Amino acid sequence: MENSSIPILRLGNYLISSPQIAIHDKIAVQYKDEVLQKIVALKAKGLILDISAIDVVDSFLVRVISEIASSANLMGCPTVVTGMSPAVAITLTEMDLSLSGVFTALDIEKSLKILREKEGRHA
Amino acid sequence: MMEIRQQLCELFEENAEEILTRWIAIMQESGLVKDLTQKELEERGKAKSDTIIKCLKAGDFAEADAYAAGMAQKAVREAMTVDQIISGFLVLRDIFGRFIKQWYKDDLDQLMEVLDIYEPIARNVVNIVASAFIKERDFLVKQQQDAILKLSTPLVQLWENIVLLPLIGILDSVRAKQLIESVLTYIGQTKTEIIIMDIAGIAAIDTKTAHHILLTIQAAKLMGTEIIITGIRPEVATTLVTLAINMQGVETRSTLRDGVEYAFNKLGLKMSEASKH
Repeated sequence: MENSSIPILRLGNYLISSPQIAIHDKIAVQYKDEVLQKIVALKAKGLILDISAIDVVDSFLVRVISEIASSANLMGCPTVVTGMSPAVAITLTEMDLSLSGVFTALDIEKSLKILREKEGRHA
Repeated sequence: MMEIRQQLCELFEENAEEILTRWIAIMQESGLVKDLTQKELEERGKAKSDTIIKCLKAGDFAEADAYAAGMAQKAVREAMTVDQIISGFLVLRDIFGRFIKQWYKDDLDQLMEVLDIYEPIARNVVNIVASAFIKERDFLVKQQQDAILKLSTPLVQLWENIVLLPLIGILDSVRAKQLIESVLTYIGQTKTEIIIMDIAGIAAIDTKTAHHILLTIQAAKLMGTEIIITGIRPEVATTLVTLAINMQGVETRSTLRDGVEYAFNKLGLKMSEASKH
């Protein structure tokens, strides 16, 4: 299977991923697999999805993000979605799509704080 | 043609005093200028007649434009009515017209010629002044509308990362839409962590309003900002329960003070009384 070519970086025990391209349905599914594989491989204790570069979302992408988060959570890896733009936030609420089981934060720094609190450590 | 114009201007200037007296008399009788003193009336009448005469002399309307620009602002500030503005000029136009008819009454051909020159100019001057006044008033209305819209979503920074949003009055769809937009844009710009929405000023709530408020809270949550609600009145609380609106997951506090305390706790800040000596 082809690579989605979305970088997933490691920072300590956490994974940080920031898609900079438009995510089509096919890429989204690949991306989900890659992220979950990486969590296992690196024994990650937290995942930060920075979607600040994404200015259009559809219900499928929201579902994928929600699935990534729920699956990661089951694997002991809480997920924080960060950098959502006002337009995306309005679209999601107007479509009545909620990111269940996902933490949200204003930026990566605050995401790290949330993950550290989850892990029981203090920033 | 130049000669007639010149002649007309001279005639007007020679009779300026009489024209002014007549104008003041008619204006006072009309009751439109009650608040003005004799001196103010004289000044205004003179300014008006000077404007028409200068336009007549020059054959263009530069003088009228200049007069209108200055007058419009002043008139709007003094809350003058369109009636007051226009009638001042119309009365003056009629007085001028009457004088012209008197001067040229023996020569009908010349009278026609003079009126052909005079009338378009007088008409245009009235036009320019009235347009300037209305334009200025429209501008003021627009300015006030903008101010009202901005005032309807005041975002006040209480502390680092804590912002107060007091809502007052009625939250209709237009305002609600503007509320969502301005709150989210504000979050995007300032990365504020907690917003305290105080709805003590909202007297009644309906399903639509509640929906808009919830929408704002959910959208903000997605961006990583918590919105808490304070100041829910008993009537509003009852309505929310009766309408079975799901406020789960929304942090609510009875007073603004409790809301501020919650925000401080959440951010790991502590408020304490200063020890007295």
